[in-house]
Amino acid sequence: MAGRQGAQRPNGATQGKICQFKLVLLGESAVGKSSLVLRFVKGQFHEYQESTIGAAFLTQTVCLDDTTVKFEIWDTAGQERYHSLAPMYYRGAQAAIVVFDITNQDTFARAKGWVKELQRQASPNIVIALAGNKADLAQKRMVEYEEAQAYAEENSLLFIETSAKTAMNVNEIFLAIAKKLPKNEGGGPTQSRQSGVKLNNEQTQQSEGGCCK
Amino acid sequence: MDETYDVIVLGTGLKECVLSGMMSVSGKKVLHMDRNKYYGAEIASLSPLEDCFAHFKREAPAKEQYGRGRDWNVDLIPKFLMANGQLVKLLIHTGVTRYLEFKSVDGSYVYKGGKIFKVPADEKEALATSLMGLFEKRRFKNFLQFAQEFDIDDPKTYKNVDAKTTTAADVYKKFGLDGNTQDFTGHAIALYRDDDYMSQPCGELLRRMKLYSESLARYGKSPYLYPLYGLGELPQGFARLSAIYSGTFMLDRPGTTIEFEEGRVVGVKDNEGNLAKCKQVICDPSYSPEKCKPVGKVVRAICILDHPIPNTKDAQSVQIIIPANQVNRKKDIYISVVSYAHNVAAKGWYLAIVSTTAETPDPEKELDVGLQLLGPIHEKFVSVSELYEPVDDGKTSQVYISKSYDATSHFETTCTDILEMYERITGEPFDFSSLKTAQLESED
Repeated sequence: MAGRQGAQRPNGATQGKICQFKLVLLGESAVGKSSLVLRFVKGQFHEYQESTIGAAFLTQTVCLDDTTVKFEIWDTAGQERYHSLAPMYYRGAQAAIVVFDITNQDTFARAKGWVKELQRQASPNIVIALAGNKADLAQKRMVEYEEAQAYAEENSLLFIETSAKTAMNVNEIFLAIAKKLPKNEGGGPTQSRQSGVKLNNEQTQQSEGGCCK
Repeated sequence: MDETYDVIVLGTGLKECVLSGMMSVSGKKVLHMDRNKYYGAEIASLSPLEDCFAHFKREAPAKEQYGRGRDWNVDLIPKFLMANGQLVKLLIHTGVTRYLEFKSVDGSYVYKGGKIFKVPADEKEALATSLMGLFEKRRFKNFLQFAQEFDIDDPKTYKNVDAKTTTAADVYKKFGLDGNTQDFTGHAIALYRDDDYMSQPCGELLRRMKLYSESLARYGKSPYLYPLYGLGELPQGFARLSAIYSGTFMLDRPGTTIEFEEGRVVGVKDNEGNLAKCKQVICDPSYSPEKCKPVGKVVRAICILDHPIPNTKDAQSVQIIIPANQVNRKKDIYISVVSYAHNVAAKGWYLAIVSTTAETPDPEKELDVGLQLLGPIHEKFVSVSELYEPVDDGKTSQVYISKSYDATSHFETTCTDILEMYERITGEPFDFSSLKTAQLESED
């Protein structure tokens, strides 16, 4: 699984701080949300990826100069299909990738809807990237690059065309997000959030403030 | 919609969502619908604050009077999780806990002779408390120690107490505890809501005392946990589990009807007449009122405050129990308080819910003794809800109905209902280890 440059386990050679961020995926059914994550996290692609099942919570790290950025990636688990995404999904998300299919104009229109939804529901400092997926099918293109680019600029979104199938720009989009996220100690969008206890089988420790630990 | 499912679940309350998750994880094809636009049904946390006013048919507050409306998540039902209780176990075994964050409740208080006292959380507090006299403290300590060590499988720990025949009243007598200490033990520690348990075998009392002390031991300040952003997060978390295992979710579907043939369920129709076929239905009482009977009323007052509760050392969250005996009632009154520290209110604001089982024709008046402990109240939303239970076990019709959320202050009876329903639905008791797969999934 080559082509995973930039991604490295935190126990590797890299020292420095580790920042963890919650990243959510949004977009119409079948635009390739799960495929993008699967490509990014596992380096895999399945031509007939089933509707999301069983693995809707993945983590992957990206290394910047002195910082390891750990993404906690939330997939929609199909709850977007009948507009039944829970508020929990958006809560505390510091980054989002809104995905559309460049061969389908409707999915681009819906992507704009998801961006609005994020602006309404999510933290005001959220970093949003717009991904025009299925770039390998450029001959069937229905959404012009310039059109999406202009929309992204108007709304201060990152914009990249990707292909989960060929791996084109998949790592790049996560890397671009990682660069844009605030990594100052204890700063960032999490500051206003209360932090609580995570339950587990063992005695639990209190996790205190901030995004960087 | 026009498909065939194994199970259709109606209503997204906690019980329905946990069962939905269990069914999906075990490979069943699940369709889950709710008439409302939001998750949670009876156990929703309403947000923004304007929605809470609308829910109680009140005019929206003046803009910014209560800060940003979006910062509020107002629970309709007051409950806490026992830190070592069944719901925490379910959360851990299903992996749903990873979607949630909790805070330990700051303190538990009990009402005695017109004042509130902190329920001691450790030995130091126990020695200092004015809840009981010096000699009584010693007797109480002996009893606590006995309860802690009591092990049904080890007769050496029995000390002449038979958990199956010795009554709670007898065991109190054996340890020489006075009426106040009995009240305190039964209601603030074992969390009984009335005194019916006194004539029952003491095994259950001892089990409840143990649950309390084990829960207390986990996080220290109190045995209770509360999820950030409100109780509504719990059903959302289990709904997500169900969705991950390919459960289909549809909110905002009013007017569904359950369809039968020869007394057995065949499907659910939406308000446009589309039929989704299924073998089983799981729902809350509101989706099948004709198969339910009323079993009592609960009265609740949700109060908005701009200050902590007096005499609680400015705690950001507390539970106060008013034992029935102290105020000449049959059932206890509960007060639960959470605040902006739990992301359920705008900065500086508090939410208190006073609740009890209605005993008179004027239930609202029954809450007065509790409301008086709160100090000045900015806003008060009072509701009286009828509690329902299914009339049968659902096995003939294959429609399995949950019980309404009762007046208890925690989720233990909720979980008992869930596990009993699971057993009726599948014919097998729930096996916690069957969910291990869910926990292992996806950790990279």
